[in-house]
Amino acid sequence: MVALVIALALFFDFTNGFHDTANAMATPIATGAIKPKTAVALAAVLNLVGAFLSTEVAKTVSGGIIREGADGVQITPDIIFAGLMGAILWNMVTWLKGLPSSSSHALFGGLIGAAIAGIGFNSVNLETLLQKVILPAVFAPVIAGVVAYICTRIAYALTSRHDPETGSKLTQKRGGFRTGQIFTSSLVALAHGTNDAQKTMGIITLVLIAAGTQSPGTGPQLWVIGACALAIAVGTYAGGWRIIRTMGAGLTEVKPAQGFAAESSTASAILASSHLGFALSTTQVASGSVIGSGMGRKGTTVRWGMVGRIALGWLFTLPAAGIVGALTALLVKTGVVGVVIAAVAGTGAVLYMFLVSRKSEVGHHNAVEVEEAGQAVRFAKKKALARARAKANNPKDSQQ
Amino acid sequence: MKWLELLTVAGATLVAAVTVVVLYSLGVRLTAIAGDRQVTAPVWVRYLAYACFGLCGIAVLFGLYLIIPYFSG
Repeated sequence: MVALVIALALFFDFTNGFHDTANAMATPIATGAIKPKTAVALAAVLNLVGAFLSTEVAKTVSGGIIREGADGVQITPDIIFAGLMGAILWNMVTWLKGLPSSSSHALFGGLIGAAIAGIGFNSVNLETLLQKVILPAVFAPVIAGVVAYICTRIAYALTSRHDPETGSKLTQKRGGFRTGQIFTSSLVALAHGTNDAQKTMGIITLVLIAAGTQSPGTGPQLWVIGACALAIAVGTYAGGWRIIRTMGAGLTEVKPAQGFAAESSTASAILASSHLGFALSTTQVASGSVIGSGMGRKGTTVRWGMVGRIALGWLFTLPAAGIVGALTALLVKTGVVGVVIAAVAGTGAVLYMFLVSRKSEVGHHNAVEVEEAGQAVRFAKKKALARARAKANNPKDSQQ
Repeated sequence: MKWLELLTVAGATLVAAVTVVVLYSLGVRLTAIAGDRQVTAPVWVRYLAYACFGLCGIAVLFGLYLIIPYFSG
């Protein structure tokens, strides 16, 4: 059982990685700052590095939401198994739909559902749930969105150039932001590694402690850190192209200065929140930033229909993962046969979704339509080209 | 409720992001001015642009230094 749970946890880590590649790399891919494949490789390496940098978050994962310890209930590997099942399935569904949704919420939802079904309602600490999950979910996109809005405004104000005499617009020369995007998006990927790989480390450590192979109160072991870092890196490299398409092109049209502002806000928000102990979801922060930066630039529209779909997805994350978690917990309760049934059904569902995804493949080649991808450092020649195309597409955008 | 923590996070996010964006934007702007063909800009403009990019990089590194426990203890 312990081995099964660890394998499942690593698979969750993998889905987490490919689900969240979009957070860091959707905007630079959309503006053509980095080639799609290079972008996911870069994100993978930085996730790997990030996972080793800090293990602060690992200690607090899911802490307090389910009453643990002497006066509470005992978390068993069974519960964690069921919770992970719920989280993985929900991650796969949202990936198939191309919706950026929080992997941590899926994990919390699955665990809560499993705990309720496996132990009972009193096992869940509602106040902590509100404080740690629901409120941050409301504020994360708002904070990130407002900051990204302000930053986009600043970036455009500082770089807008007019002829002092005639007042007509000069060449804006904002190509430098493309180079900047490489750094800011890298920072987001790094922040993601320090944040999200930790959750799986926390889970595996929890299992090892529950199984009695590790003494309580100790940090994650080295092989656990290594395995989790690797799983999330591989997942990131696999690239959730469907979600990248949504984040890079579905929400709003992203220009380099906008992308730079959005990524700076995302990175600041994630790093600040994980450092100051008010954990915000990476996905929600990143989505908020993209929307905020879309509102900040004149002449862009935010596709509110898509925003609505994403918000709806967020609403369903907790309950949906919870229900799957609860069902799995009930199955597992019946004994070894139940565990086998749950494992087989889960694998089957994942395989089925993978097969469905093959029908309309979204890969690095068609995730976002960018013709000049990867020429970030060669500005001179491309400038004229980009301007000509911008004019052809939309006269308003010719200021770029 | 942890309203204070929420405010701290919001404030820190704003300060960090605005610092980075302002410095980088200034850098981009100054590079643009330095690169103008028609109007000959003084040489220091280009160096000022480099200084802005440099400061921006330092701001980011300082942020990382604050966050990674290995360095800040």
